[in-house]
Amino acid sequence: MDKDFITRGVRRCSPSRFAAWLTPWVVLLAFGLYAAGLCLIKGLNQTNMDNRFAFGLWIFLDLTVIALGAGAFFTGFLVYILKINELKAVINSAVVIGLVCYSGAVCVLGVDVGQPLRAWFTFWYPNVHSMLTEVSFCITCYLTVLAIEYLPIVLKNRKLRQVPSFLVFEFELHKLVFVLAGVGTFLSFFHQGSLGGLYGVLRGRPFAFREGLAIWPSTFFLFIISAAAVGPSFILLTTWMVEKITHKRLVRPGVLELLGRISGLLMAVYVLAKSVDTLIWINRTSPEVGFPAWQYYSWNPFGTWILVAEIAIFGLVPALILLTPAMRRRRGWLVSAAAMACVGVALNRFVMTVQTLALPTLSFDKFLSYTPSWQEVGTFLAVVAYGVLVYSFSFRYFQLFPDERMLKMEAKKEVAEEPFEMAGRY
Amino acid sequence: MLPWNYGFHWNTGHVVFLGAFYTVLTIVATTLVLAVLRSRRAIAEQRVEDIGWHADFHDLSPQDRVCRHVLSGELQCRECPHAFDCRHCETHARLVARHAVAKPAEAEEEILGMTFPLDRFYHRGHTWARIEPDGTATIGLDDLGQRLLGVPDSTELPQPGERVSVSGTAFRVHKRNANVRVLSPVDGEVVETAGPGSDWILRVKTTGGGGIDCRHLLRGSEVRPWLTREMERLQLTLSAEAGSGATLADGGVPVKDIAAAYPEADWDAVCGEMFLEP
Amino acid sequence: MISETKQFPAAKYGMTIDVDRCNGCGACMVACAVENNVPPAHEGATDRKGLTWLRVYKVDNGLEYPDHRTAFVPVMCQHCNHDTPCVHVCPQQAVDLDPATGVVGEMPQRCLGCRYCMAACPYHARYFNWWDPAWPQGMEKTLNPDVTPRMRGVVEKCNFCHGRWHAAKQLAAASGEPSGQPVEYTPACAEACPTGAIRFGDLNNPASEPAQSAKKADSFRLLEKLGTETKVYYHSEREWVRQTAQAPRPPQAGKPAGKEIARG
Repeated sequence: MDKDFITRGVRRCSPSRFAAWLTPWVVLLAFGLYAAGLCLIKGLNQTNMDNRFAFGLWIFLDLTVIALGAGAFFTGFLVYILKINELKAVINSAVVIGLVCYSGAVCVLGVDVGQPLRAWFTFWYPNVHSMLTEVSFCITCYLTVLAIEYLPIVLKNRKLRQVPSFLVFEFELHKLVFVLAGVGTFLSFFHQGSLGGLYGVLRGRPFAFREGLAIWPSTFFLFIISAAAVGPSFILLTTWMVEKITHKRLVRPGVLELLGRISGLLMAVYVLAKSVDTLIWINRTSPEVGFPAWQYYSWNPFGTWILVAEIAIFGLVPALILLTPAMRRRRGWLVSAAAMACVGVALNRFVMTVQTLALPTLSFDKFLSYTPSWQEVGTFLAVVAYGVLVYSFSFRYFQLFPDERMLKMEAKKEVAEEPFEMAGRY
Repeated sequence: MLPWNYGFHWNTGHVVFLGAFYTVLTIVATTLVLAVLRSRRAIAEQRVEDIGWHADFHDLSPQDRVCRHVLSGELQCRECPHAFDCRHCETHARLVARHAVAKPAEAEEEILGMTFPLDRFYHRGHTWARIEPDGTATIGLDDLGQRLLGVPDSTELPQPGERVSVSGTAFRVHKRNANVRVLSPVDGEVVETAGPGSDWILRVKTTGGGGIDCRHLLRGSEVRPWLTREMERLQLTLSAEAGSGATLADGGVPVKDIAAAYPEADWDAVCGEMFLEP
Repeated sequence: MISETKQFPAAKYGMTIDVDRCNGCGACMVACAVENNVPPAHEGATDRKGLTWLRVYKVDNGLEYPDHRTAFVPVMCQHCNHDTPCVHVCPQQAVDLDPATGVVGEMPQRCLGCRYCMAACPYHARYFNWWDPAWPQGMEKTLNPDVTPRMRGVVEKCNFCHGRWHAAKQLAAASGEPSGQPVEYTPACAEACPTGAIRFGDLNNPASEPAQSAKKADSFRLLEKLGTETKVYYHSEREWVRQTAQAPRPPQAGKPAGKEIARG
């Protein structure tokens, strides 16, 4: 029925089967929108955030999702600026994932603030000293860039490209994509960094506060490195998931291994930088303001295990796995290591947001705990559902994986050649 | 924000920050505007077909973009940098100047059971062009192209007076689930379209001064190696699209209506592959 | 709220709170809420979701009976004078440190409700409007016409009763005094305190009580090592009380926050 809209030569399931796949996600989206609607209409009292836990699940997940979506800018940088053409196989998918991650995060932020209609105030009365101003500006610009990068993917749809103006516009835009990739890299560098800077500048929270370079605390650079490290891993993970769900080969194994290697390299750099930073923080930064570091980890449940988990178990271990060629070649190890890297970065974001707020600053404070309400969880599930829906739609109608067709033909060729090989053995 | 509001003072931080922001915005906006303006100019200059072909060519797999001189054995390995438009190619001019394309030994080319007459030039999209004595060119589908399409379900031919361009759309064909455009071998203005049952399809006349340029088309001894390669490609595509057991044994001749021989094949994919529409 | 200071000396309003005098009655908290049009707690509000610009904390020395001692520490916005964390982080410049008065002021009309300032404040002195403000019928008669009520979704905090400062300025102008001169006024909490534990004044005026208290040896400020240079000086003759202001960790059973065991 919708064959005319589907790329030539690739197989997609029937429209009714596609609708069946979409249905649960649509239901989830509807539920999530209801949860978000409650928060917008009734107020943020619908959440379990309070005056001490000013940031909760949403901010933690926003930061995580933005770090995971960093694959978009980083792959764009590698393909269009460094000309690593092997990654052209995943750049379209990365752009869609990036768009979904960033637009989802921005929507959640719109629900998270008390007065979403005042969002433009940041642009009219910017506080150039505040990291959050920087984040707002950069993320808005970057979302625009991602939307523009998504446009050619849409316009190359088989039916749409028959419209002459779409065909020509896509062609001209593609010639300038390196400009967008460069701008995207610049913007991403700054906003990933500023997201780290958000916590590194908090003088009043010695758990989060870090020294740094000029106005930029060390967390600025750590967040950039970790985002660049986990971006390729997340692309690896999602590509593998899509291959599993659709039962198709979408990329050559070498591409996944390359992504793993890049991720492993950057993870190793990150773990090294983070370890140095942690040592400085434990021995100098925190004690200097009268907060000995050991006491942060004397509160249940955040013992020292969380530090070990973040840096060693979900940091060093995946880095080493991804750097070992023999392990990279085994799909199970490769995907597991990528997943562990993603968990490690999520853990880092959790520690910076939730743990920072849980720890007491004043001596008569208590250690606080917080559990998200169902409205908060629902809102975030809406983002997940939205992401799956957009990605599914894009996968069906646009060419997210340019090598898909060639891989299909090669697979058939292998099958066809097999009988002859077997004949030769006898 | 504005200088006269509430004692706002510009300092270095503001200049750097807002400067960077507005520079980025300007760059992004300029890129978009530039793309829009270039698109409008391209449409006004009627380069849509040309651009469409360049976009298609870009999406072909590297093996399909191989230079004609690799097929004829003169070069080891080269990917065509001009989207098969050899008129603008220095390498082609140089190689042709060294030795012109030889005529094959046989009077009429019978290659792999198909007829490829010597009195015409062949486009890699399986169309041919024959220069007539009165200076017009006749365009038709070559033997392999005809066998692929068999008796088409419908065709969309251009009207007399319409322009066709090299590697632009000559006409569109529907066969089973295939919906594919066929490339024009030459530039020109359509003067006549053939009736059903003819062995040609269009007749065009040149638009500018001078004759019809055919430098970019294959001829003579180039045809056999090209066709051999095309049969390999067809084999590959059929085995991929037609499911199990689709092989053309060596020496086998493709039937008059290949589509009928492979009823379960995704004919759209096969035609797209052979007529260079990715 | 930003004023250009001209040739008149700027005020630097501060407070001194004598912890030894505070008996935890909470009159200051009530007076603050009444003065500043803080709405009553909404149904479902918890201890951590209410608007308490001024909060009296009960602290103890961590020892068991008979050595267990308690004290009450009223905490409001400390009006940090150096590297003010909330001013630094607000993306809309909805908070500023007024150079003419030293008051860290909040513009609820500009606040986006991002709550970054709340994360930044080490004293937890900032509060968010989780609900729309609502006053039960009849209670609107108690509203203070000089203070703007805030809407849902914005942050608010103590501003040293800025409305009273404005009133004092108007009175001074009406009586013909030069307009730039610092004025004297009393915020609601200082006015309501029955033991006189809370005193307010201009730190730039050496004769004012806060200025004098600041010079005393047993005066202290909360979390001084952070370098925020707060303008609220606490005072206690008890060493363990002074320790609670610095020790980042609440005293555990058997482990006093300070080294001395309090007496009396």
